[in-house]
Amino acid sequence: MMSMKFIERSSQVMAYVLLTVCACITLVPFIWLGFAALRNPEVYFDFQFIPRVRHVQMMAAPEDSELRKVWTAVLPSDGMEISAAAELVGADLVNRARNEHLIEYRNGKVAWDMMSLQYFRRLLSGNEFPFVRSFLNSVFYASVTAVFATLFCAMGGYALAKFEFKCRTLFTRIVLMALVIPGSLLLAPGYQLLFKLGLLDSYWGLILPGLAPAFGVFLFRQSMLNAVPTELMESARIDGCGEIRLFFEMILPMVRPMLGAFLLITFLGCWNNFIGPQIVLQTPSKFPLAVAIAQLKGIYSTEYGLLMAGTILSIAPVMALFLLLQKEFISGLTSGAVKG
Amino acid sequence: MSLSRTHPSWVPYFFIAPFLIIFSVFMVYPLLNSISLSAFQSYGPQFSTFVGLDNFKNVFQDPDFWTAVKNTLIYSCASVMIQLPLALGLAMLLNRPDVKAKGFFRLIFFSPALVGLVFVAILFGLLLGARDGLVNETLRHVIPGFPAEFFWLQRYVMPALILASLWIYVGFNMVYFLAALQSINRDQIEAAMIDGANALQRFVHVILPAIKPVAGFVVLLSIIGSLQLFELPFILLGGAGPENRGLTLVMYLYQNGFEQNDLGYASAIGWILAIFLMGIAIVHRRLTREEL
Amino acid sequence: MLPHSLSPGSFTILTLAVVSSFFIFLRDDPQEEGLEFWMFAKNHYVMYQEEFEKAKDPKVNGDLIAYGAMERRLLSGVLSDTPVPDLVEVQLTMASRFFSGPIEAVGFTDLRPLLEAEGLDKRINPASFSPWTREGRIFGLPHDMHPVMLGYRADIVEAAGIDVNEIETWEDFVRILTPLMRDFDGDGTLDRYLLDLWETDYFGIEMLLLQAGGWYFDRTGAPAMNSDINIKVLATMVHWTTGPSRIGVNVPRFDAEGNRMRLEGGVIFQFMPDWYAGVMQQDVPGLAGKMKMMPLPAWEPGGRRTSCTGGTMLSIPRRAAKPEAAWEFAKKLYLGTEVAEKLYQQAMIVSPVIDNWDEDFYDEPIPYYSGQPVGRLYLELAPEIPQRVPSAFMVMAQQSMINAFIRTRRNAREAGVHEVEDVLDLARAELDAAQTLIENKMRRNTFLNPMEEQP
Repeated sequence: MMSMKFIERSSQVMAYVLLTVCACITLVPFIWLGFAALRNPEVYFDFQFIPRVRHVQMMAAPEDSELRKVWTAVLPSDGMEISAAAELVGADLVNRARNEHLIEYRNGKVAWDMMSLQYFRRLLSGNEFPFVRSFLNSVFYASVTAVFATLFCAMGGYALAKFEFKCRTLFTRIVLMALVIPGSLLLAPGYQLLFKLGLLDSYWGLILPGLAPAFGVFLFRQSMLNAVPTELMESARIDGCGEIRLFFEMILPMVRPMLGAFLLITFLGCWNNFIGPQIVLQTPSKFPLAVAIAQLKGIYSTEYGLLMAGTILSIAPVMALFLLLQKEFISGLTSGAVKG
Repeated sequence: MSLSRTHPSWVPYFFIAPFLIIFSVFMVYPLLNSISLSAFQSYGPQFSTFVGLDNFKNVFQDPDFWTAVKNTLIYSCASVMIQLPLALGLAMLLNRPDVKAKGFFRLIFFSPALVGLVFVAILFGLLLGARDGLVNETLRHVIPGFPAEFFWLQRYVMPALILASLWIYVGFNMVYFLAALQSINRDQIEAAMIDGANALQRFVHVILPAIKPVAGFVVLLSIIGSLQLFELPFILLGGAGPENRGLTLVMYLYQNGFEQNDLGYASAIGWILAIFLMGIAIVHRRLTREEL
Repeated sequence: MLPHSLSPGSFTILTLAVVSSFFIFLRDDPQEEGLEFWMFAKNHYVMYQEEFEKAKDPKVNGDLIAYGAMERRLLSGVLSDTPVPDLVEVQLTMASRFFSGPIEAVGFTDLRPLLEAEGLDKRINPASFSPWTREGRIFGLPHDMHPVMLGYRADIVEAAGIDVNEIETWEDFVRILTPLMRDFDGDGTLDRYLLDLWETDYFGIEMLLLQAGGWYFDRTGAPAMNSDINIKVLATMVHWTTGPSRIGVNVPRFDAEGNRMRLEGGVIFQFMPDWYAGVMQQDVPGLAGKMKMMPLPAWEPGGRRTSCTGGTMLSIPRRAAKPEAAWEFAKKLYLGTEVAEKLYQQAMIVSPVIDNWDEDFYDEPIPYYSGQPVGRLYLELAPEIPQRVPSAFMVMAQQSMINAFIRTRRNAREAGVHEVEDVLDLARAELDAAQTLIENKMRRNTFLNPMEEQP
């Protein structure tokens, strides 16, 4: 009995260890990202995470007379800080000594003064990069698309799930078929259509095509088939409830989790959409964050800290929203699959 | 399931109208239009010449297309073969009755899926730096003799993409598996345990059949998603990469449609991809025999 | 929708939609007056600021746009009627995208009539027009000539007692300088290489091809990937990047990691078109006073000592709102001595305008380059600058050449060879394949071969 318990106990510990290791691997890029955005440019490449104060340690006696200067300067107080050594003999010489492996660097205390919010300040100040504007564009594009797409899909799903009418089977078939049409097939003809309609470089050109995802209608149809009792609809009608009031006041609350899930799915999809805005929008004042940040990469290619700060500012809002909607989101996401 | 019959006849049409109108204009029309578009060679939306079936012929004769097919299939296989087993394993660990803080772990594992591919690409572009990247620096500590520079983004493009995709999607798929595992009746497993079934037998005979529908769905989702890989390599490599090592089918479509401006050729590629995906969906349906 | 059907998260998204719509509709998008001017080069942007501020009637709004984004926006603008600028600087590779349709679809104004009417075509180095000319129409004002030299770490080379004047050919270069390569940490891989040349970097590849007299296309614009010169150059480049004869290393430009390598002496010699001489000063300030320039070593004694790379034109899109004002500003910016001086002093770019070549400012010593009169050195090489034939298939040819390099190098490694003679056949096979590929793609384009009937 003891050993049985021991095995159970140790396998539980193993499970925890494995889960923790995986969780750490998952989190490392986020942590790295955070420190990369905080480290000052001078020390950006010297550390992967927290910048430290660096000390010089002598490794071998230099032959070169020039390099000997480093030796004589540093030797009296072995382990002096790099900045102090650089002040004495010049940063160039210290670098050279290090390249030739005459000295090594050793990390000391955390160098708090080597971290700052300068990149965030630069981004938010709006002088170099229209952050606030792009942020607003992203919020507008993502939330408006999410709200209307959810409404239209809920309405469509309701019609297909709960009503007997002529084209019901045909429409349902079409929706099911559209599920497997890859979005990329629509890129070229969709672009041509937007050109003909004069919708290129406008928000509508971006929002309208996203308002009728077949996937959404399918999800709402599935959830309403099960969640909405037809008898309830009939008795409400007998009580004199109008069709539109019926939908908003009775039907929608019944699929509340699905509403939340689909809102977030659409919001997330739009927020992270890159190829659509990249093709449709051409005026920078209309760019959402994903496009704006990707372009930051082209111009500030060597200022990694700035790029990382921009990345943080772009993913933080959806993370926050996810925390609010986590439960619904996951149940909505999986319901399509689990109920199959 | 019963359907409402006591409604005025306009009601279903009213509810389906907004969806149907937008769906027809922005989905059905371009879809039909792309059939005719694929018979033209075009230069932007305003110039075109009729070429008949030449676009399709040229796609199949273009070595770049076959490179894209190869890369996309490799990525797709890796997605299914590496990502999904890892996701399932993680889900099973998390589903143990003696593991607490399930919500916490699930939140952590799922979080990378929230990061847009553009941002993932920017992040991994630095993490996979040839000399100073965190990944290489870690590998240098772990593997003795690991080279001073390791060109993920120039030479080992596919492994780099697969690595990034693991970070994004393992947790995402885990959520599906976890939901499926949680819906299994624990009594069944305990009954199997009492019958003396070992862990492997329990997995094969109880767990696997129970999660089969979800697993089928996740496999289909992974295949369809991975066959449409585009943004990640596009930003990570700034294009197809050396020797087209990061060229994928959708990138091939984008390059031809929006860099070479041949919307007709791009439509042809789109149809080839679509037909391929529909084929997979049909095969999948045959295999799982699940009704939608 | 009533609140009770909404969870807090859903309610948040709904609120966001309402509030953000409110802001977006109230916000007036900036409708800027004056000339729109798009640039992709940060140093040009900085340099032109003063001219932009001086321009009053009309005002000029300069926009710095990332290269890839600008290509997309400009293509969309000229092909699909989205907004276009009045003036735009277009880089050579980018320009090829605009040449692959019918000639009437090229979205830029043909400047030839204007140039000829004002006699400007005679004032500019003729080689500089070549990349912007198609079917006799000139689609842009050339910004530059971009002659090439080698920039090197004088501190390292001179400390070793080497006189670069003794180097006349690439053979001398390798023989005299190879001892400078180092493995500091003794791990068996070199930490200091001679030349920034790598299979994935078109920079050195193109410059070496052009210098040797090779190119992707022949004078008529037909593909010439597998010319004997190209084969020889490719084999030599493989020789220089493979096995014990390796002298080349990958040093990315516009990249912090690459700049650190430059600073730390990971590479001694770099290909230096004039514009990159300017970028070095900004991106790697730590090398001030340690760099020097020398002409490219020739392929054979008495051969060409320079090359050419990239290049930019200033174009007026055909749909520009104010083409006349744009043309006036373009002339002021590109032809004047004042801007030529600034262009040189801030970006080290030497003017293609022949009248400017005698100016004194090109003779001033440049401290960053150890006091050499870099401008004069470049101008002395100007007559030797090779001409280039424009092509809509430039990008494809570039990629095919890089691919051929990668594959030849891999095949050479697998076969265990690295000497030029042994690599020649491998190089020929890859370039033959590249030639077929491009021929096929060219044949496919009905806009460029309108006369050709299908058999």
